Amino acid sequence: MPTNWADEVDGVEAPQTFTDANGITTHIEFRINEDGKKVKITRRTRKKLIHDKVNKAVAARKKWPKFGKERGNKPGPDPATTNVGDNIKLKLSSTGQIVQDVDEKHEAMKAQLQNKKILCRICKGDHFTTKCPYKDSLGMEDAAATPAPAEEPGKFLAAEEQQSGSKYIAPHMRAGASSGGVGGRPGSAGPDSREKRDEQPTLRVTNLSEDVTEADVSELFKRFGHISRVFLARDRETGACKGFAFVSFTMREDALRALEAIDGRGYDNLILRVEWAKSSA
Amino acid sequence: MRPILLQGHERSLTQIKYNREGDLLFSVSKDHVVNAWFSHNGERLGTYEGHVGAVWTVDVNSSSTLLVSGSADNTAKLWDVSNGKCLKSWEFNTAVRCVQFSEDDKLVLIVTEPRMGYPATLQIFSVENGTTETVSSEPVYNFHPEGPKITVAAWGALNRYIVAGRENGSVALIDPKSGQCISTNKVHELTLTDLQMSADRTYFITASKDKSAKILETESLEVLKTYTTDTPLNSAAIMPKHQEFVVVGGGQEAMDVTTTSSRQGKFECRFWHKILEEEVGRVRGHFGPINTIAIHPDGRSFASGGEDGYVRVHHFDDDFFTFKFQI
Repeated sequence: MPTNWADEVDGVEAPQTFTDANGITTHIEFRINEDGKKVKITRRTRKKLIHDKVNKAVAARKKWPKFGKERGNKPGPDPATTNVGDNIKLKLSSTGQIVQDVDEKHEAMKAQLQNKKILCRICKGDHFTTKCPYKDSLGMEDAAATPAPAEEPGKFLAAEEQQSGSKYIAPHMRAGASSGGVGGRPGSAGPDSREKRDEQPTLRVTNLSEDVTEADVSELFKRFGHISRVFLARDRETGACKGFAFVSFTMREDALRALEAIDGRGYDNLILRVEWAKSSA
Repeated sequence: MRPILLQGHERSLTQIKYNREGDLLFSVSKDHVVNAWFSHNGERLGTYEGHVGAVWTVDVNSSSTLLVSGSADNTAKLWDVSNGKCLKSWEFNTAVRCVQFSEDDKLVLIVTEPRMGYPATLQIFSVENGTTETVSSEPVYNFHPEGPKITVAAWGALNRYIVAGRENGSVALIDPKSGQCISTNKVHELTLTDLQMSADRTYFITASKDKSAKILETESLEVLKTYTTDTPLNSAAIMPKHQEFVVVGGGQEAMDVTTTSSRQGKFECRFWHKILEEEVGRVRGHFGPINTIAIHPDGRSFASGGEDGYVRVHHFDDDFFTFKFQI
């Protein structure tokens, strides 16, 4: 019985080496692995002498002593200067296409996308849907479910194009601006501000939760266009939201878009209802 | 295939060259050193030290006894290949652009740049015995070639011509005895970057910054083949055996590399079918433009040197030799 580790090593059988008739050398050794189990390792090797004819001059050059920076170094490649790189496949093809495949695909995709207008499905902005800054407040699947924008995308594009056009158009000259709004800034306080306000396209938003603020409402609606006024009904004593708000847009198209997009959407666990505000008159 | 990476240089490679048997590979770079390597395993045989400027060009004679190198330090040096000793140093007024042994190893062609008021020269030195005592400091011929700057030059068959590639994309045939320009042909739009002779020197390949490589017949300077790529080319070489290929390499200018993505760098060696002018494959690996390509004289391996300071020696796999181009 082995009593200590030294004896244990001795207990392993001695390695054996023998060569058979075919010139195959078999080397068998026993070892105890990490789990304490005995393993048998068998290595079979065959030596073959290959004769290669080389040019005499080449053979002579192989025996040249090294010189310069390599002076005195032993024969064989020095890892400091010589390394073997990663395996590289040279794929030869007759068509001349395979190698350029990647580039062409890339180019084709580029050309395809060149004239494509990127349209966000959530806010209809000119960015990808995944990059939409409002995707958290307006879920993607909700946007897809909203039927109106999908039906008339051309209409919105037209409106957007006009906005993004290079030439500046005064708000009252813009298509869709209320014909009555002449002079004065919309929503500016004045003797007839209430009158003007009524002529602006205004939405009534109801079913807001208590802790909503003006900023939240304007955050929710400003993506659709310029908002001239946000009024949030607050409780006189507590200052909490009474559950409804008015949002006035400069442009009727924007208001319409907002109405279609936000009406019926969840916000703070409640389903918003958006409709045209009835004139207070 | 697994390339052998040779890291003997600290700066970008300018030229690499195999000797006649292909067992030795010489590389020169802007870091002043000339390296000699065994091509089969990448072992460095030694270095040739003495230049104090960027080394632009190197050549070895056919018996692999003498090496000549040309540098921006206004000298060309003759070396003993076996031990790295400098046998002779020729001084010039300007940088040496191109050096080459003649086919019979008796003459060396040296092309110097025009600079600082000095005209370009095309000089021929005799190196018949190749010892320090017998090599003359004076050229056998000294010409001042007219026209745009010569960027590359090579001897034609039987030393009957010198073929020179110029900065304006033209190729000129020069008589080595009189220095007269026999004929010229403007084959490229932009400067020639490389000119390598076929094994029998009856035709040669040129590479140019105008993104194309062309094969021309030496006698007539007639364009036989054109290989048009999508990147400026720095080098082109003809595969001597096994496959009818040419290898071209280049890439966008080093100064433009940082402004574009690496995928667009196009730092690949491209294999083109020599006869059919079709691209057949690419070998990637360099991190910068490929400055120089050389093919082993037995066609079993090739090496490329890049702006990244590496020389990569590739030994072809077996399937390379069995490949047949399907039309």
